[in-house]
Amino acid sequence: MKQLQTDVIVVAAGLSGLAAGIAAAENGAEVMIFEKSNTTGGAANMGMGPLGVGSPIQKEHMISLTAGEAFRKHMYYTHYRVDARMVRDYYFKSGETIEWLMDMGVEFTGVQRAFSAPEATRAYSDGEFTWHVVKPEGGGAPGPRCATAMTKKMTERAKELGVKFYMETPVVRVIKEDGRAVGVIAKNRDGEEIEARAKAVILATGGFGDNPEMIKEQTGYEFGKTIFNFAIPGMKGDGIKMAWEAGAGHAPCTMELMYQLPDNMNHFILDGAFRQPCLWVNRNGDRFMPEDQIANTTFTGNAITAQPGCVAYSIFDSKLLKKYKKKGPDIISHVHPHDLFDHFDDQWEKDLADGYEPICQGDTIEELAEKAGIDPVGLEKQVEEYNEMCEAGFDEIFEKDRAYMQPIEKGPFYCCRQNVGAYGSVGGVRINHKTQVLNEEAKVIPGLYCVGTDACNIFGDSYPFILSGNTMGFCLNSGRIAGEHAAEEAVEY
Amino acid sequence: MWLTIDDKQIEAHEGMTVLNAALGAGIYIPHLCGHPDLEAVGGCRLCSVEIEGMTEAVPSCMIKVEEGMKVTVHGSKAEKTRKTAMELILATHPADCTGCPKYGKCELQSMYQYLGVGPEKWKKKTRTVPTDDSNPLIRHLFTRCVRCGRCVRACRELRGVKVLDFQKTEDGVRIGTDGNISLKEAGCKFCGACIEVCPTGSIMDALGQISEDVSYAEGVVPCRTACPAHTDIPRYLRYIKEGDYEKATAVIREKLPFPETLGCICSHVCETACKHNELGKPLSICKLKRAAAASQSDEWKKNRKTAAPTGKKAAVIGAGPAGLTAAYYLAKKGHEVTVFESNEKAGGQCRYGIPAYRLPDEVLDREISDILEVGVDLKVNTTADTPENLLKQGYDTVLIATGTHKGVLLPLEGNNLSGVQLNTDFLKHARRGQISDPGKKVMVLGGGNVAFDCARTALRLGAEEVHIACLESRDNMTASIEEIEEGREEGIILHSGYSFLRITGDMKVQGVELQKVDKFYFDENRKAIIELIEGSQEIIPVDHVIFAVGQAPLGTEKLGVELYHGSYVKVDSSFSTSLPGVYGAGDVVTGTKSVIEAIAAGRQSAIEMDRYLGGDGDISEELLEKETADPFLGRTEDFGSLERLYPSLLDPQERKKSFAPVEQTFTCGEAKCEAGRCLQCDLRLNLTNPRLWNEY
Repeated sequence: MKQLQTDVIVVAAGLSGLAAGIAAAENGAEVMIFEKSNTTGGAANMGMGPLGVGSPIQKEHMISLTAGEAFRKHMYYTHYRVDARMVRDYYFKSGETIEWLMDMGVEFTGVQRAFSAPEATRAYSDGEFTWHVVKPEGGGAPGPRCATAMTKKMTERAKELGVKFYMETPVVRVIKEDGRAVGVIAKNRDGEEIEARAKAVILATGGFGDNPEMIKEQTGYEFGKTIFNFAIPGMKGDGIKMAWEAGAGHAPCTMELMYQLPDNMNHFILDGAFRQPCLWVNRNGDRFMPEDQIANTTFTGNAITAQPGCVAYSIFDSKLLKKYKKKGPDIISHVHPHDLFDHFDDQWEKDLADGYEPICQGDTIEELAEKAGIDPVGLEKQVEEYNEMCEAGFDEIFEKDRAYMQPIEKGPFYCCRQNVGAYGSVGGVRINHKTQVLNEEAKVIPGLYCVGTDACNIFGDSYPFILSGNTMGFCLNSGRIAGEHAAEEAVEY
Repeated sequence: MWLTIDDKQIEAHEGMTVLNAALGAGIYIPHLCGHPDLEAVGGCRLCSVEIEGMTEAVPSCMIKVEEGMKVTVHGSKAEKTRKTAMELILATHPADCTGCPKYGKCELQSMYQYLGVGPEKWKKKTRTVPTDDSNPLIRHLFTRCVRCGRCVRACRELRGVKVLDFQKTEDGVRIGTDGNISLKEAGCKFCGACIEVCPTGSIMDALGQISEDVSYAEGVVPCRTACPAHTDIPRYLRYIKEGDYEKATAVIREKLPFPETLGCICSHVCETACKHNELGKPLSICKLKRAAAASQSDEWKKNRKTAAPTGKKAAVIGAGPAGLTAAYYLAKKGHEVTVFESNEKAGGQCRYGIPAYRLPDEVLDREISDILEVGVDLKVNTTADTPENLLKQGYDTVLIATGTHKGVLLPLEGNNLSGVQLNTDFLKHARRGQISDPGKKVMVLGGGNVAFDCARTALRLGAEEVHIACLESRDNMTASIEEIEEGREEGIILHSGYSFLRITGDMKVQGVELQKVDKFYFDENRKAIIELIEGSQEIIPVDHVIFAVGQAPLGTEKLGVELYHGSYVKVDSSFSTSLPGVYGAGDVVTGTKSVIEAIAAGRQSAIEMDRYLGGDGDISEELLEKETADPFLGRTEDFGSLERLYPSLLDPQERKKSFAPVEQTFTCGEAKCEAGRCLQCDLRLNLTNPRLWNEY
């Protein structure tokens, strides 16, 4: 077996692993990063940018939110059910982390709150401008995947600092001696085992979004049935399992909920087209929330989870479709194309012909309900009631914004099932505010750290959308915190 | 020759491309159509650079180096060309990276990360091509194809198989076979080179082919991974194909000291794992091994190494496959090894369990003498002292490898009658020539290979009528299909799916009462549930009954080590028993398993024991020089449809009269032909992995 020796070992080279590796190296430690893919960045390659509070960009834009305010908001949102000290340390570091990234050469397009829309319907109308969207290196509008530019700069920075990368070399387990983490066993592409020893080990493997068994076991959702989350290949829960095996305490795992169509990236036009404040019902045909809120993907994901079968249906009629085509959609999200309805017919016809299962079209409400699997009597009754309220100009039930009280009356009718989705998993490994792994008795396991999604236990039950960019934000900042502490420990040791 | 790239002086050879010169000097230039093992074609434009004296950016893969050439990689023109090229690629490439199995291992992903381009600049138009799952082993997801042509060049030029090509279709150019026929019909050799060179997720291994629980190399070559001793199967099959039995044997011997024994009787899990199963029948790996090993070449001994004496002493209790394998490797590490065997000959179950018509004495004798040759001291007819006493007597370590030599007697009415025997005793006595009268009519109870060993042995000793009865239905019997079939040919009467009610008779066996099983299954508590068909009882008149329903360790209670499940020796993951310095391996630890598993355990325990004795635990050896396999395969018409060959068998009426080996060795011609069917799954691992930007 090949033997290696270093100060700090980082398991996986995603966003949190890169941050940890760079921070440790900047603080004088010799660092090795083991990664099972051949590319750095992990799930962050699909993302757009991190949270920051008090960054130079925010100051430039006169966004006065302070770290202390962000901390209070976060704790209020999570009802103080999460580790306040961890949350505090994270927000107080986050602004400087943006500066740290800018020093590496990362450029940001600007700072955003989650999505923009008319005031009353704004997805996160009480959200703060914390989302630092990464600017693509060669220009062009930022969109999904634009955070790769950040991954690249971070990878270059790590290499410049002498961090050694072992690509396609997954870590199999943590070596523990006398209660202390002293290294890892890894296996390279050819199956050769490597024993790497270090003074500190940082786990950063990105959760278990791509592990249906673990999703079932830890959260109760069934992948492809009650949840259609992003299953970013490789997110198997490796780090969480390794940590638990090494004696780490269990922190409750949740799925970072939103909602989407199954296989939504291949049906992106429909994903956006039906994300409109039209008529939304559950399997019984009943409305379940004011549709002007559906741009809030977190709330809507939660609401759909509470419906029978964990599904909802978004319905509009030909008149509404005509209006969308002419005047544009009522709600434009940040992630969907602006000219959605220019491409609607092509995609609709194609997907209908291919038998894309979540969608259907009907000449009558009854036919639509039957095709969609909604209770026809319930839906007919609901449509009747809804149309009457549209006529009266007021939603007596949920007080939905009047502008969106548009009747469903002219066939053909269009329906698209909405499923619970998730960006991935969060949580699993119990840590303290230094990101040191704790055992079930809340005692530190010396030498072992866990960061990023594997140890993101600060969200409570839902993604804190009021401070957007939180997923990447926590990855970066927890990674940095771990890297700094690990380096300190390694030098002292 | 010297040239300058980005103000850095680098040396290059005449005829080299600028791209290769730069990459060789550690300067990264993105490239997609180029691949280290393939000729570049200048198609992707990602490798564009500026060269002094040329007005436009040019693809560096198409320009040969010249003395004094001045190349700029990061010039504005070159960067612009590269970025535009990448944007155009991304404009037709689906954005659903999260659903792509190549995520994280995709060259395109790495390259757009490097180029930092946004996907939003060009109007996106995904060219949808239906995913083709109809071919075995290889999956085509051409919606993700970037038309770099690497697969075409790998298939046509590197491998010479000439199956894939660019095909013009209504929806544009795509990759496929001429006439859009299946890969098998087109003569594909399923070597996987196309999968290996594909920079995106367009050509992938079929779903479920590559295990995610093992390393990439292990997943790609499943036979080698499945073999408990990890013999390098594709490598020795290549030598057999060339008729080079000496080298083939040496390859096998790098991992185990019993090639011919295994060639006769191995349970060959490798064949179950063989990817050829997806095309038809797996390679006849086991019998090919026999063909090679039966050549009795001693060439491999030339490179066999034995370390200088360490002065340490090891005792091995039991000269079966586990014990002898451990002894062999311990002796080669320079330790003084004594093997204690209570029987008169070494071999364990290979000798006293497996009948000679399956594994002849000469084969065992030959392979055991090769083991003893490296300095193993074998003491037969010697019952070893307890491990504790052996340690006291000066042995530094002890291995318990005593196997399972105690037959199991079912609690059945009549099991004490005269004429009832146990599998272990019966086979051992038969091997020693101590059975003069096996009985006229014999009933063997049990459905495994050992039941057939007993039945066919009884037949050869002169029994007139031999029955086998077992609980399992024929399809669920643990005996191999070959055993069942060969037994049938010899006239064994099989009663599968029967429960044994009792053995009838007064003092002597007179018959066995059976009842037909309706259902036989294990409930949620893993308890066996047997439901019988009422009124289906019948008595088969026999004068002898042999129990062949499993076997257990014998005499382990006297060893002074911790046991589990009654009589099995308990060891930890490093083969160590509860007594420091005392190890356990083989059937005595695991229960009755295959010979190859015992050998693998012998190797593993030797590694642990060597470490315990202060060694490095490295028992790997190279018995022949590492060769590089020829990457060129060429065409073989109907390759995918070639039928598996089977060794010929002695005539059933002849063979049941004697203990002569039933199965013949493959002739050299047969062996070459059968080995030629191997897909050589390991070949794709020899392809160079392109270095990505983050590796520079």
